[in-house]
Amino acid sequence: MALRTEFENSSDIGVFAILTNSYCLTAIGGSEAFYSVFESEFAGQDNNSSVIPVVHTSIGGCRIIGRLAVGNRHGLLVPSNTTDLELQHIRNALPDNVQIQRVEERLSALGNVIACNDYVALIHPDLDRETENIIKDVLKVEVYRQTIAGNSLVGAYSVFNNQGGVIHPKATAQELDELSSLLQIPLVAGTVNRGSELLAAGIVVNDWTAFCGITTTSTELSVIESIFKLNSNQPSKITSELRASLIESMT
Amino acid sequence: MSLYNFKKIMVVPPATSFIDIMLSRTQRKTPTVVHKHYKISRIRAFYMRKVKYTQQNFHDRLSQIIQDFPKLDDIHPFYADLINVLFEKDHYKLALGQLNMARHLIDNVAKEYVRLLKYGDSLYRCKQLKKAALGRMATIIKRQKDNLAYLETVRQHLSRLPTIDPYTRTIILTGFPNVGKSSFMNKITRAEVEVQPYAFTTKSLFVGHTDYKYLRWQVIDTPGLLDRSLEDRNVIEMQAITALAHLRACVLYIMDISENCGHTLEEQVHLYESIKPLFANKPLMIVINKVDIIKLDELDEARRNVLANILNDENVPVIQMSTVSEEGVMEAKTEACERLLGFRVDHKMKTKKVENILNRLHVAMPEKRDTKERPAFIPESVMQKREIDAAIRQKRKLEKDIEEEEGDDYILDLKKHYVTIPEEERYDIIPEFLDGHNIADYIDPDIFEKLEELEREEGMRLENGFYDPPKLNIDETLQEIRDMARQIRTKRFILRDNKKLAPKADKPKIPRHKLPHIRERKVENLKNTMEELGVDMSGKDDANFVKSQMSLRRGIAPAIGGSIQKKKDKESSAIVKSTGQPLKRKAPKHELGLSNVITKKKAQVMAKHDIAKKLKKMCLKGEADRFIGDLKPKHLFSGKRGSGKTDRR
Repeated sequence: MALRTEFENSSDIGVFAILTNSYCLTAIGGSEAFYSVFESEFAGQDNNSSVIPVVHTSIGGCRIIGRLAVGNRHGLLVPSNTTDLELQHIRNALPDNVQIQRVEERLSALGNVIACNDYVALIHPDLDRETENIIKDVLKVEVYRQTIAGNSLVGAYSVFNNQGGVIHPKATAQELDELSSLLQIPLVAGTVNRGSELLAAGIVVNDWTAFCGITTTSTELSVIESIFKLNSNQPSKITSELRASLIESMT
Repeated sequence: MSLYNFKKIMVVPPATSFIDIMLSRTQRKTPTVVHKHYKISRIRAFYMRKVKYTQQNFHDRLSQIIQDFPKLDDIHPFYADLINVLFEKDHYKLALGQLNMARHLIDNVAKEYVRLLKYGDSLYRCKQLKKAALGRMATIIKRQKDNLAYLETVRQHLSRLPTIDPYTRTIILTGFPNVGKSSFMNKITRAEVEVQPYAFTTKSLFVGHTDYKYLRWQVIDTPGLLDRSLEDRNVIEMQAITALAHLRACVLYIMDISENCGHTLEEQVHLYESIKPLFANKPLMIVINKVDIIKLDELDEARRNVLANILNDENVPVIQMSTVSEEGVMEAKTEACERLLGFRVDHKMKTKKVENILNRLHVAMPEKRDTKERPAFIPESVMQKREIDAAIRQKRKLEKDIEEEEGDDYILDLKKHYVTIPEEERYDIIPEFLDGHNIADYIDPDIFEKLEELEREEGMRLENGFYDPPKLNIDETLQEIRDMARQIRTKRFILRDNKKLAPKADKPKIPRHKLPHIRERKVENLKNTMEELGVDMSGKDDANFVKSQMSLRRGIAPAIGGSIQKKKDKESSAIVKSTGQPLKRKAPKHELGLSNVITKKKAQVMAKHDIAKKLKKMCLKGEADRFIGDLKPKHLFSGKRGSGKTDRR
């Protein structure tokens, strides 16, 4: 299931949340509406338990946690401007098997420069070698330096889980094939939030749920649902059933 | 979103109020007071301004009207034709053209009268000219009365037209009156078109929207068509014809199989054949309605033969439906949408636009690059949760609900979810900084073991008496030495403090107006000091501690007491040798002519005041200040000298 949601009237929800298979971080907003979307989605069977912890946090006093930090099931990387108190809070709130690591890196918006699932990560070509090693160790992934459709901010222009992914709409078919083989998941070029190419700002996704910005159209939503295998649909649906709708809506 | 929005056209006022608006605006926005004794140029300018201002207003408003109304040559042919049908193209164009003409005329009138005003030689004449100018402008507008009224009705009608996007996915319903077009429309959209059991219930175009395959579809309900030639058709039917002719949409020709509409199947087929040219190059479907009354199979032979031609056409699918029993309605909609979608996509595939988005229709499937499995990670509990019906699941109290409940008192509790920390420790306050140190820098995972170790060591030390003070035995001499030492120490501290308090050497030693500082070295003090130090000073009274009197540099020394005699200057003590008498002199100049002491004093005071005044006035430092700022002022000593420029006074 993919849900449409918004953070304080902004549909760039990926900026204000991080979602992985073992935890979810949300920004501290003016109201709890945004948090509660995640809270109810990840609610456990009995009251007060949850499938994965949903945690309020800030990073370096900022709400844009989705762009500053990056993580997967195994770990979480936070930038150097994270305060000790925030680090302590995240550590207390997340399960113990999630490693948390503060990274000294010049490109401190880690969410924009790193895109990863539980097995593979794509990173900005200019990232430090040291950071690369940290990513390997903490997130337990294979790391590839890549650009997407000429953009080196791989974290901003791609979103993927362990089953599929969406990347920048201008990526060529060849580029898609290459990246797909690298990541070992099916990929499609797409948009979110009525044609926005900043995919990571519009989608937060893990292996069984996705959240999209409120302005996402239904064609975009159906592409997202099928590529991430959130329902019974297979990614091949995009080329078969959705094809006509896609052509019709995009031209 | 929509390209054509006729709702924003400004209201066209009727001629009389048009004139009123303009004239009252001139009255309000231009000066109103003028007098005949004003300069004539001013009077002319006053009236010229009025004329020009009125003309400008007329011009602007008319231009606004002309611009607001859609130009039939620029808009989509569907709308152009619709406007033609509804308002008559010629009339419409003529009305706008005449307004344009009126605008020109007004401009010319203004130009003419402004020229005349230049020759106006009195206030009265100028006023008459202005009056005439405004009057002629008003007449011009008055003549446009009918055009303005017509355009106002057109505007009102246009603003109520449905917003039809001629380029989007459109389904058009057509057929005889009363065959069930509007009922079908109401079934598939939420337009709520009026449905009545008589012909021509729908008198104009209606738009509704429906969803299919994640897309929005525009459904247009048209008025019913009668089977007659184009020339005979009325305005209501012509609207339907326009829509059919110009919109590239999927056409649903709806037929009434029960003939309840009052038209036989034959007539319906005939109409279909006669308007068929309008369906060229469009996806077309025939929908047979009211099958709840009679099915296609149940028709008698004669009627079947009538329909045979239609049924046998392979390019045009025939669908049976009933808007009453709702059977076949969704099939009709689906089929229509599918056909239109296929048609549009085929068209688009031929254009260049599709090339740009081909990459987005491509799903890249991975090629295996190693044997490693990369399964999705979905926790067991999620899978279990999915199985539970969402309806059965109890409503959980969300953070949002708590926030709503508590209102302004709500405080976000970040620590609530620290499940690994026991509840009583969860809310412990840990400061970020302590004694200027960041706590986080000192976090040590082994802190508790280290603390235990330390405590054990400490305990052992305590047991062994490590911290007991050593015992000392003090005898008398030692005590004495100690006392003395303490005394010496105290003394030293006092001396040190005194030294600190004493005036510093680098400060001015004696302020000139103060008395000289005299060291207080007295016999008494000496004795005290020495006694304090433990020297026996008894019996030393006669000792000659006193030194001879100090010779003071300055005459006055009150320390010793007594006044010192004023020294007379040499002159005043001079003695004339020959007589042996003190020398007598003439009184000084400033004392001359002053007979007694009182006047002398008075003169002195006056002089003092005068001098002070002069000093103040000339910014001098004192009486003797003869300062001249610039001895050789540049302007007097350079360049050519004109007559009388050498002297600066």
